[in-house]
Order: sequence, then structure tokens, then C-alpha cells
Amino acid sequence: MSGTGPFARACREALGAPALAMAATFLAFGTATAAAGLPLGWALLAALGVYGMPGQMILLGGGGVAAAVAANARFLPMAVSLSPWLGRGGARWLSLPFIAVTPWAMAMRQLPHTPPAERLRWFLGFGLTSWLVAGLSSLAGFLLAGRLPGPVLAVLLLTNPIYFGLIVADAARVHPARLSVACGLLATPLALVLPASLGLLAAGLVGGSVAFALSARRRD
Amino acid sequence: MTELLLLIGACAALRAAGLAVAGRMGPEHPFIRWASSVAMATLAAFVASALLLPSGALATLPLAARLGGMGAAVAVLFWRGGLLLPVLVGLGVAVLLNL
Repeated sequence: MSGTGPFARACREALGAPALAMAATFLAFGTATAAAGLPLGWALLAALGVYGMPGQMILLGGGGVAAAVAANARFLPMAVSLSPWLGRGGARWLSLPFIAVTPWAMAMRQLPHTPPAERLRWFLGFGLTSWLVAGLSSLAGFLLAGRLPGPVLAVLLLTNPIYFGLIVADAARVHPARLSVACGLLATPLALVLPASLGLLAAGLVGGSVAFALSARRRD
Repeated sequence: MTELLLLIGACAALRAAGLAVAGRMGPEHPFIRWASSVAMATLAAFVASALLLPSGALATLPLAARLGGMGAAVAVLFWRGGLLLPVLVGLGVAVLLNL
């Protein structure tokens, strides 16, 4: 594979801001796992197997499997929206372990402008790199547990919302994502009043469905 | 450990269901557009709730630092583009506002 192929290009793209956001979040997760007294194997299995932070944190906090699954239910609409861009062949199943917010968000930006034959390889390169960054960062966080001052940990945890905020702000420049973002923001109170496991799911379902309905009316 | 394995299986099933259901649809199919809308709205709600009412260590940062950092990051995004520089500037502003 050449250094300029879609796989290699995606690996490099994943090592910029996406890796920074991913590393900060999973570093904090590794630290939290060690603080909870769980073994390193648990931290790595959760990071690489679940690979969805809200669910990981709920399970770590003792919230139970059902609440953790609900918190990660966004994997379903993300996989649905990603699927048409990965081709119809069986090879698209290789992408399964890598479907998470960061690769999904970047794929939605890049894949529409990528030649169809290169899309799956681009996603696998980006996904594998992000996944490895998550695992290594969890390991680093576990080993660093107790040595990170509180303010540093707080700023690390801000990296993720800022990174996703930028993805959202950038997407909101064009229709119809602008409407989805606006409705998602307006539905945020649902996420604040409902239990953490259900709140985001409810806000996304209500906000996203209203945006879809409004967008469909505009098309008519 | 059993709980963790159950969660891993459930998350894989959610991803697999998405890939299976949408495998033969195009990006303009109404179901795909609805799912994309739900996914983007969920992400927007996540950002807003993480900035406005966070939990854990993030809650120790004052609201002004969280919102100021986000505002600065978006301003740099619209001014210069890219993602890495906006993230770094946003974090820098948050640190300054937290001093």
C-alpha cells in the first residue's frame, strides 16, 4: 500500500485533532478505571470492546448494563448513516468495531468527497488509528492514575466536548445538518432532566426526528 | 466482567444492526437521512449538555471557562479552518479563564 493511498491518508488524518480528542478522553477513562480499583485488563477491554465513552463511564460507575447500552444506543443511527458510504460488499463488516462518534463524524465530512472505491479503505485507516489511540491512551491513563492534578484532568475532559462542538459547528454551516444541530440543541433540556442513560437518546431522537420532518416539508 | 462482556456484545449488535439494515440503501434514502439527522442532533445535545451541566472532574471548571473555550475554538474554526488549531486555542482560553 502506497503512502498516499486512502488507508495511509486516513491514518495521518486521524492523528491530528481527532487523536488529541480521543487521547484526552480515554486517558481520563484509564485514570478513572484505576481509581475505581478495577484491573488494567478491564480498562483495555472496555476501551477497545465497548469503544463508546458514555456507556463505558456508566458501567464503570455501577449504573448497570441496560443503562450503559441505552447511553451507547447512538451507535445504531450512526452505523445506519455510515453504511451507505462503505459499499455493499462483505468487506464493509470490517468497519464494525471502529464505528464510534469520532470516526463517524469525520467520515460524514470526508466520504462524500472521496471516490467510492476508496471509501472503505479510508474508513478502516481512520477507524483503526483512532481505535489504537484509544487503547494506548487508556493504558497511559491507567498507569498515570493519581499523578494527574485535578485541573489538568478537567481540561483534558474539556477536549472532547470542544472537539465535537467544532464538528457540530462546522456541520451546521450547511443544510440539512444545520436543522439537525438546531433541533438537537433545542432538545438538550430533555438530556438534562432525564437520567443520563436515556437523556441523550431522547434528545437526539426528538431533535433529529423534528429536523427530519421539517427538512422533508422543505423538500416537498 | 460478565457485565462488561454483555455490554460489548450489545454494542457490537447495535453497530451490526445499522450495517445490516442500511447495507442496500443509498445516502439519500429517507431512512438514512432520518438516522443521520438523529445522530447529528444527538451529538449537538451531547456538546450542549457537556458544556452546560457536566458531571465529574469537568464540572470543576467554571462555566465561563467551558463556554469561553468553546467560543474561542469556534471563532478560530470560522477564521482559519482546520480542527487542531481551534481545539488547542479553545483549551488555552479555558485554561486562562480557569486561572
